[in-house]
Amino acid sequence: MLQGLGQRGRREIDARRAAPGTLTLFLAPALLLYAGFTLYPVLRTFYNSVHTIKPHGVEEFVGLANFSELLHTDFVFWKAVGNTALFTIVATVADVFGGLLLALVLFSRAPLAPLLRILWFTPVLMSYVVVGIIWVWIYDYDWGLANQILRAIGLGAFEQSWLGDPHIALWSVMATHVWKWLGFNMIIFLAALYALPGEVLGAAELDNCGWLAKLNFIIIPMLRPTIVNLLVLSFIGKMMVFDLIWIMTGGGPLWSTETVSTYVYKRAFDWNTFDLGYPSAIAVVWFIIILIFIVLMTRLLRQRDRLEF
Amino acid sequence: MKTFIAAIVMTMAAIAMPRTAAKAEDVTLTVWTHEADEDAKVAFRELAARNLEKALPGVTVKMTWYEKNPMLAALKTALPAGQGPDVFYVEPDWTEYVDAGYLEPLDNLVNWNNIQPWARQVWVHNGKTYGVAQEAYTNELYYNKDLLKKLGVELPANAQFTQEQFLDLVKKAKAAGVTPIAQGVGDRPFPGAYILGEALLRKLGKDDYRNLFTGKLSFDDPRVVDVFKWVKQLVDAGAYPKDFMTLKLGESHYYFYTKPGALMLPMGSWYTGRAFVPVDKGGQPQDFPLGIMQFPAMDGGACNQCKTSNVGASFGINAASKHKELAAAFIDAMSTPEMGKRWIETIYLQTGIKADVKQFSGPHAAYFTELMERQNGTDYFIGGPLDLTRGQCKDSFGQVMNSAFPGGLLPVDQAIKMMNAACYKG
Repeated sequence: MLQGLGQRGRREIDARRAAPGTLTLFLAPALLLYAGFTLYPVLRTFYNSVHTIKPHGVEEFVGLANFSELLHTDFVFWKAVGNTALFTIVATVADVFGGLLLALVLFSRAPLAPLLRILWFTPVLMSYVVVGIIWVWIYDYDWGLANQILRAIGLGAFEQSWLGDPHIALWSVMATHVWKWLGFNMIIFLAALYALPGEVLGAAELDNCGWLAKLNFIIIPMLRPTIVNLLVLSFIGKMMVFDLIWIMTGGGPLWSTETVSTYVYKRAFDWNTFDLGYPSAIAVVWFIIILIFIVLMTRLLRQRDRLEF
Repeated sequence: MKTFIAAIVMTMAAIAMPRTAAKAEDVTLTVWTHEADEDAKVAFRELAARNLEKALPGVTVKMTWYEKNPMLAALKTALPAGQGPDVFYVEPDWTEYVDAGYLEPLDNLVNWNNIQPWARQVWVHNGKTYGVAQEAYTNELYYNKDLLKKLGVELPANAQFTQEQFLDLVKKAKAAGVTPIAQGVGDRPFPGAYILGEALLRKLGKDDYRNLFTGKLSFDDPRVVDVFKWVKQLVDAGAYPKDFMTLKLGESHYYFYTKPGALMLPMGSWYTGRAFVPVDKGGQPQDFPLGIMQFPAMDGGACNQCKTSNVGASFGINAASKHKELAAAFIDAMSTPEMGKRWIETIYLQTGIKADVKQFSGPHAAYFTELMERQNGTDYFIGGPLDLTRGQCKDSFGQVMNSAFPGGLLPVDQAIKMMNAACYKG
């Protein structure tokens, strides 16, 4: 009798056999949240982008005027696009392949591997605010650790205003970003490495396959799905970079670290206006660019690997 | 049974009624204010809140303390949504709140007898007044008296060097291993432009200075170019610290009076808010030889006695507030002559509140006396570049005149070209 009840219970909770009403009931909360906090803001941003939003709910349709101004006369936007593209490409490659390198070090059972794993992963647990403030101190010209070390080892000639020089400020922020995220990619890769089939690696060793050849012909090809997923996720995340830049440089000096996200924020909240139309136009353009990149990357990389977002 | 239930209902109603009546009288006035990190100002406004609560039983003033940027972000989302506090901190250059109609005209709400007419004037737009000035300040050039003496330089009787003398002073300080001017632009869009801005004001005079930042005068004007060239000489002589681009406002104070020490610090007279606190809270040492000099006179300057004066911390009433009268009562509670006197005596800063203070007492009386002396014969320009500029021009002011140019990243011609492109409407 108990078995019968158990079978009946299993039938009742089988989602594939559930009535549409039951499915709706269970899906509705998530769908409502998605509609309210994702779908509506996206649609509203598109709507705002072709309007000038005036106070007290007054909206004036301006067609493509915001887009025209943005694409033809706004040099800060193009500067921000360039910075974001550079940041995205360099930091993504450094993050993912740096993480892979660290994971390989741990996988090869390097000395002090458990300690290194903790050290390398710790920055991931810190908030952007904390990381940003720490690195602003590290980069301080007079008493920052970076210049102190250079002076201490006799390389004082190389001391820099790390965040004050427009030529290196973006690279300095990038270094901080990579420092924070290397550990995350390392852990993902480490999990993937330990999941590799032991018999394949064992067979390679029986065939006297060297470490480099094993890496090149077995490990990397088998890690390809993980690499592709991390590349795409990292790429998307970095195209929206805001927090670290805002805390460390605010987009300066001379817009050299301005990203599209910081510029949208400035135009929305720091521009002596309540108009969200123009910032929305920037967001829409950037949304479309990101979408195109994702489609392209997916097509380029997805031929052999299924991407899982 | 029915009687029993009726008795319970009546008892509950009897208990509930007085509470309902009390609730009808209870009002919570919400206030959002910046300057959470300035203890003396926190104490001042909290005192006004408690005074109002005592005067009006049933009223609770709920103050929310912010840093400026988070407060701006909160206001810009809350107000369009019809939310927001009853009273909020505002500054005169935040004109978008006036334009948008989020600030209630205060002409018939607050007691203007206690407010200085010039301070009220700052907040007049289209014939209506939208804010009550609490903090007033002048741009001052603070210096270390001992360091000046060590450099063998004597301050002229009028406390104002010529532009040539000032350049020499910067060079002397640099040669002696002293940072000439402690200044940083790490978290503000204006301090880097103190020297440049005041020099432009003196060179151009008040009208053309206003014209410059409102797009009516080109930055190519020879007088403007001369000033940029002079400032460039200062920059090239090493006037500013190496970490100028990242040094924050609060840190520049500490840099000036504690570590590593600098000869001068151009700053609004609200310098006191950070300096006159205990040393363990980042204040200046008690025996610090603080002096105030005038910004240098420009060769052929149209107004070498000119100085920027401005209104800072002010308060406005949310046009959507349901407690406008009460909000005005709170603003009045902060603006009595007694509170004005308290402001001066505890914050050591000018105020837009009328206060009868003829003699100064307390540990910083000498400072305030010197500050008042430096105002003798001054011709004030009310407002500053951030009040006059908008949009791209304002952003370029922050990036170019405040940051990149004094930071040594731009030559004169490029800085002028960038400012013209953003500001000049000719």
